[in-house]
Amino acid sequence: MSELDAALTVFAQEAEELLTDMEDALLSLETKPDDSETINSLFRAMHTIKGSSGLFGFNAIVGFTHEAESVLDKVRNGERGIDAELISVLLDSKDHTAKLIEHCLTQKEAALPASLAADGERLIRQLTGRQTTDMQQSDDSVQLEIEGGGEISVDDNWLISLEFQKDAFRNGMDPLSFIRYLRTLGEIKQILTVASEMPVDDDMDPESCYLHFKIAFQSDANKQTIEAVFDFASDDCDIKILPPNSKLEEYLNLLNAQDDNHVKRLGDMLVQVGALTQNDVNHALQSQQANVDAEQEAPSKPLGEILVEQHVVQQPLVDQALKKQEQTKQKLASEANYIRVDASKLGHLINLVGELVISSAAMNLIVERHGLSDAGDVAASMNALVSSIRDTALELRMVQIGETFSRFKRVVRDVSKELNKDIELYISGGETELDKTVVEKINDPLTHLIRNALDHGIESPAQRVAAGKPAQGTVQLNAYHESGHIVIQIADDGAGLNSEKILDKALANGLIKPDHDLSQQEIHNLIFAAGLSTKDQATNLSGRGVGMDVVKKNIEALRGSVEIDSIEGEGTTISIRLPLTLAIIDGFMVGTGQDRYIIPLSMVDECIEMNANECEIDEIQHYINLRGQVLPYLRLGDYFHNQIADSNRKRESVVVVKFGQTKAGFVVDELHGEHQTVIKPLGKVFERLNGITGATVLGDGNVALILDVQGLIQAAIKNKSRPAPFLTSQRIQ
Amino acid sequence: MSNLIRRETGHAVAVQEQVGQYLTFLVGTESFAVSILDVKEIIEIANVTRVPLTPDYIHGVINLRGSVVPVIDLSARLSRHCSEVSKRSCIVLVAVETSEGSHLIGMLVDEVREILEIPPANIQPAPDFGTDIRTDFIQAMARVDDVFIILLAISRVLSLDELSLLSDLAQSQEHLIAASD
Repeated sequence: MSELDAALTVFAQEAEELLTDMEDALLSLETKPDDSETINSLFRAMHTIKGSSGLFGFNAIVGFTHEAESVLDKVRNGERGIDAELISVLLDSKDHTAKLIEHCLTQKEAALPASLAADGERLIRQLTGRQTTDMQQSDDSVQLEIEGGGEISVDDNWLISLEFQKDAFRNGMDPLSFIRYLRTLGEIKQILTVASEMPVDDDMDPESCYLHFKIAFQSDANKQTIEAVFDFASDDCDIKILPPNSKLEEYLNLLNAQDDNHVKRLGDMLVQVGALTQNDVNHALQSQQANVDAEQEAPSKPLGEILVEQHVVQQPLVDQALKKQEQTKQKLASEANYIRVDASKLGHLINLVGELVISSAAMNLIVERHGLSDAGDVAASMNALVSSIRDTALELRMVQIGETFSRFKRVVRDVSKELNKDIELYISGGETELDKTVVEKINDPLTHLIRNALDHGIESPAQRVAAGKPAQGTVQLNAYHESGHIVIQIADDGAGLNSEKILDKALANGLIKPDHDLSQQEIHNLIFAAGLSTKDQATNLSGRGVGMDVVKKNIEALRGSVEIDSIEGEGTTISIRLPLTLAIIDGFMVGTGQDRYIIPLSMVDECIEMNANECEIDEIQHYINLRGQVLPYLRLGDYFHNQIADSNRKRESVVVVKFGQTKAGFVVDELHGEHQTVIKPLGKVFERLNGITGATVLGDGNVALILDVQGLIQAAIKNKSRPAPFLTSQRIQ
Repeated sequence: MSNLIRRETGHAVAVQEQVGQYLTFLVGTESFAVSILDVKEIIEIANVTRVPLTPDYIHGVINLRGSVVPVIDLSARLSRHCSEVSKRSCIVLVAVETSEGSHLIGMLVDEVREILEIPPANIQPAPDFGTDIRTDFIQAMARVDDVFIILLAISRVLSLDELSLLSDLAQSQEHLIAASD
């Protein structure tokens, strides 16, 4: 049972990936409808899902995907054009397939719910509706050409030999459809049918395939492309493709031109120049292996000989390749590959690395305390190793954000259709990496922000034209790294935020008072306040119960922040800033009194001495002059524990922290330096605590708290300046 | 300590019912008890890191074998003054169940006394008034040697919702103070 479950899990994963690919392919077809590779991948997706569902006996899936597959086959053969309508139906079919798979996986035995079945029938009707007649015609036309007989001409043609197995029909393979598809690649000069296997009398089973084909085929396509035609038949058919003589010279030249840096296997060399495909080689290797098993005393035939015998390559090519192989002496490079790893195993590894970091800090402390000079070197090199292990372990969990981004293509497409707007999504920075756990949690806020941009940001085409903008609106998704954070930007070229409208609403809701003098930035930030909505009527897109306040809360829960930048009439840019990882950070340890705190190192700009003469400290106003700039500061000790200001302070330092555009100083008593910080959650009791985001265990076993720089700055601004809520960054530059 | 474990053999009827074990400890000079089933561990008071911007009853956080665990000052939580940490002070670690799973919380007490077996017959419901701690913190009153010991309702005393809520309140109060000076 468990093996079957495991197999089902693999099936579910595989199907999900295939469906995702299929969606991407469909969306890219909208712009490039002629891309045959994309159409092929669509076909492959449906075909593979059909095949694996059949293995598990999910007949509902098989039935539906079979229809979709046949339609895609026609598209592939050029019998049916692909248009926006078909793409829509196919997208729906993809969704339907996903639903079917989910149904089959969750309630294996139960019958299909009526709604699902009805959807399926409707889609099948839409898919197949009008081209049944086409099918008949093309069948006939092929039949006419296969009449030929006699000798096949070798001159300058590919020689393709197809020996279908008897079960081919029963496995759903139709030789004709392959031949028909072959014609899209070039011209079939001649077809020779070989009926030698055909039984003469009653033994003949009309459901079996006895016919073999030899085809002279003229095409500029390479061998891989031609073989790909018969990709799906490879289990049921013996395929041999011999390149034309004119190609021979080309292959020989290519062989000579191959670099000498690696010794390659004969098969690989031939595959690389295009004379063979990997399938040919695998096939030959199998028969070689079979020979070895059969007659162990006799030396097995070399691969080259087998290949020539199997008529997949010409003798001169093999000779040349062998010569080339002799010339090069080095070992071949091993294949780079991906390994699928259970996420919980990775999580466990990262936890262990976290403990390792703490113990290594503890060891350093002991080495220092006892003054073991000879152990110092060892400790230092171990420390270096531990920190590179930490970085590598964290990198394991890093994924590119591109996959998350490309999901929004579908959202943009669907929503813009629904809204009758013409909107194009541009994606950049998809290769930017961040922690998988962060990626998972950013999906919902991103979806909301993008829907907002589509719904409220971009105007209708008519309004856009009237405003002198192109009718097509654009939404840009961008990501990049900046000082230990990833910044994700959602930019639209829509109407922008209407400050007056926001102010009116905020006044009406009592968020602000009429006498408040707010900057543009502050007004824009008001949209993150709960209960403020400037849209005149709610649409079904925005009525999802997730407001901008929830978006902001979700992002802040990830120790991130969100900034908004909007010019009325020109568009809105929302920037989300997130830490790269939630597990381990580089910290900067400071002390006030006997308390120690960690500031994320990525936010520390510089440290300066708190010198009354140089910095013009203004004790009443709480700011200093930092090289001509005003730098507000916060005395951490006073702020946290309400200590009464000590008149004769010791030497103090100012840690200048930077958060986005905002700079501020934290005044502390001691600077302890950099510290690898393993973030430990503080738990539910402290979940509403502002200013502290977590804790870490120090080398001496004590706990130090990690400061939430943004939270502290905002709280300080809130307290010391105006009592209006949601005033965020105070711009200094 | 001769009375460490006592059995109330006089009550034959009560023997049939399950006899509960309770950990008794001192807060200030008063005795309190909690069911031994709630107690995970008793540790000596170690280095406690205080957490800023929290009310008095949050004593701080400790490192318990690599996890960061909050410690509640039980005396302050029961509306008394903050405990003075002495040689006899201990942290009683209890598991508080919530919908999201079990959370470990430490209670700072002034002295851990003993484990008592108290038959259900000796346990009475809490009086409606007459005690100076919140009545919902009292699970029941137990009579031991003709003296009443308050059995604490751990889920109420260490209610995570309330603890986190109050730390919110305290914070805004502190901010008000900070803003006014």
